[in-house]
Amino acid sequence: MKENNNVLEIKDLCVYAGQKELLHNLNLTIPAGEVHALFGPNGSGKTTLMMAIMGFSRYQVKSGQILLAGKDITELDITERARWGIGIAQQLPPAIPGVKLQQVLDYVTAANHQQVDNVGQVAKAADMERFLNRDINGNLSGGEIRRAELLQLLAMQPMFSMMDEPDSGVDLEALKVVGELVNMLFSDDPVHPARRKAGLIITHSGNILNYVHVDKAHVMFERQIGCTGNPAIILDTISKYGYAECTQCLQEGV
Amino acid sequence: MKKTEYHPNGGVSPELNALDQLDPTDTAALAQVGVLTEGEQRAGTLILRDFCPICIPNRTEGLELLPIATALEKYDWLREKYFWKAVPTDLDEITEQCASQQEVYGYFAWVRKGAKVLLPCQAALYMASDNITQVVHNVVIVEDDAELQLVTGCVTHQNVYSGLHMAVSEQFIGKNARLINTMVHDWGPDVTVYPRSGTFVEAGGCYESNYISLRPAKIITSNPQTRLIGKGASAKFLSVILGVEGSMIDMGGDIYLDADDTTAELAHRGVCTGGEMHQKGLLIGNAKCKAHVDCAGLLLNVGEEGFILSIPGIKAHHPDARMSHEASIGKLAPEQVEYLQSRGMEEREAISLMIRGFLGADIDGLGFELEDRIAEITELAGHGEG
Ligand SMILES: Nc1ncnc2c1ncn2[C@@H]1O[C@H](COP(=O)(O)OP(=O)(O)OP(=O)(O)O)[C@@H](O)[C@H]1O
Ligand SMILES: [Mg+2]
Repeated sequence: MKENNNVLEIKDLCVYAGQKELLHNLNLTIPAGEVHALFGPNGSGKTTLMMAIMGFSRYQVKSGQILLAGKDITELDITERARWGIGIAQQLPPAIPGVKLQQVLDYVTAANHQQVDNVGQVAKAADMERFLNRDINGNLSGGEIRRAELLQLLAMQPMFSMMDEPDSGVDLEALKVVGELVNMLFSDDPVHPARRKAGLIITHSGNILNYVHVDKAHVMFERQIGCTGNPAIILDTISKYGYAECTQCLQEGV
Repeated sequence: MKKTEYHPNGGVSPELNALDQLDPTDTAALAQVGVLTEGEQRAGTLILRDFCPICIPNRTEGLELLPIATALEKYDWLREKYFWKAVPTDLDEITEQCASQQEVYGYFAWVRKGAKVLLPCQAALYMASDNITQVVHNVVIVEDDAELQLVTGCVTHQNVYSGLHMAVSEQFIGKNARLINTMVHDWGPDVTVYPRSGTFVEAGGCYESNYISLRPAKIITSNPQTRLIGKGASAKFLSVILGVEGSMIDMGGDIYLDADDTTAELAHRGVCTGGEMHQKGLLIGNAKCKAHVDCAGLLLNVGEEGFILSIPGIKAHHPDARMSHEASIGKLAPEQVEYLQSRGMEEREAISLMIRGFLGADIDGLGFELEDRIAEITELAGHGEG
């Protein structure tokens, strides 16, 4: 039934916030089974891209298309996109007074008893139990927010998961836990760990990549994907020469 | 729209004295405010239907629940020591009018020394006819070391559009006694409601008041007066109110902390989808005490006319009075609603979860068709808020 094997396909996407253009003719393809990393200097549009893929109303698609497993979802609202299988772990998710993490997990797992047990076990393993009955994202540290976001994704089991800087503000020990949660999310079949679900991970430091393997990396510059290639080489280049070098390469049209 | 006319003495209701004379629409109305007309889950029941008291004889040791007129006849001391002693007759026009009534309607609940009434005792002030004026006077006495949980439902029949309800309530809580009063109001759209209440709490006594009004009258003004007169007495107030277009709701609450080691907490939770909402409250520290007042408002699609005005007040006369206040007004932010949507919730589900969260876990136990009501508020909140 599927025309191709891509989980995510973005074609010539232009995104605005009000009058301001935040993404310009952006193209990105993520094949089934692949997890990609997204690098790029501050303000280049990485978060914008994820939020636009999820469908947040602050980010309006002016033109272009977003396809999920071949289906055009550009006109769908957030709820529908979530139900079609897109999930996001935001970097700075809003606190919602009076709404508990457990309530959201209950909602997500309502139809699946097996999932209820799994999520309970993961919460325990990730030392998250004490946050379950607290306000969602309220008064949590950076590392706690990361774990809470990932726990929700694990409950949802999206076909395509996005994570905005899952490694920022996370100490080394917690990073290991975060890495495990991310791997659990992508490789849900322990017998075949290489069979993975697709995803996209924003990272500046690349720290998360010490735990989670990625198939490809993209670098964003000024509202577009400027460069795509081997994750290790790209990360090396950025950490040695900074983004200036990458920009150069872009200007040379390499 | 129907024309509003008040008949001071109202339409005449037929004599009723047993629960089985209530028809299903009555039962439904009462159920909305937590007043159960079946089963064994209540320690006692008194329903004032328009002007006719329906009293179920209670079998609970130490508890007496009677129409106030009957109680005044039966106990001389009631008039001497309690009647009009916690609320002055000359407080305002409302109390003056109540005091001038020839017939007195209302309930009298009395728990004797040391008696702990386990099941809630319920009283309903029920307006079944349109355009009447219901004037009531209630007295609650919980003697030393006694405990009572009172559910008071004030409700109009589904066909009642307008009316006037005036109520004086006087409550006396003895040493180390405890009264939990949960009041649920559910009024017709053009009903005016003036409660006037006064409570005394003696040493070690505890008064807890929960006021829920999620289907509001046209006008409600209430400013209950509570006096903590004995060492270690405490009071805790929570009001949860919905305001809609055309309504004017003014909720106050003065608590006097007159003795050492007294504590008071006053919290208002208001959801405003239109109309005027005033959240007040004044804590007065006259001794070594601890008190906090907290007003929180949620504005949803209020239009141009609607507003919330929050004025939490604290006043200290004593250097060891530790008092604080806070107030906040906000809306449901689109990024919060969308966050929940990104977990697969419908916008409506997200909004109702947030409203429930805002109103607080405290109301959970009340249960009275709460889900329906939150769904209604969600409708009023409108979709695509932002
Ligand atoms: N709602 C908005 N209205 C106007 N400008 C916005 C809005 N959201 C983001 N921007 C701007 O768009 C640009 C891209 O922002 P974005 O958050 O996507 O960057 P980023 O690549 O995630 O940066 P960082 O690495 O700092 O997280 C920035 O210049 C930002 O100021
Ligand atoms: Mg960002």
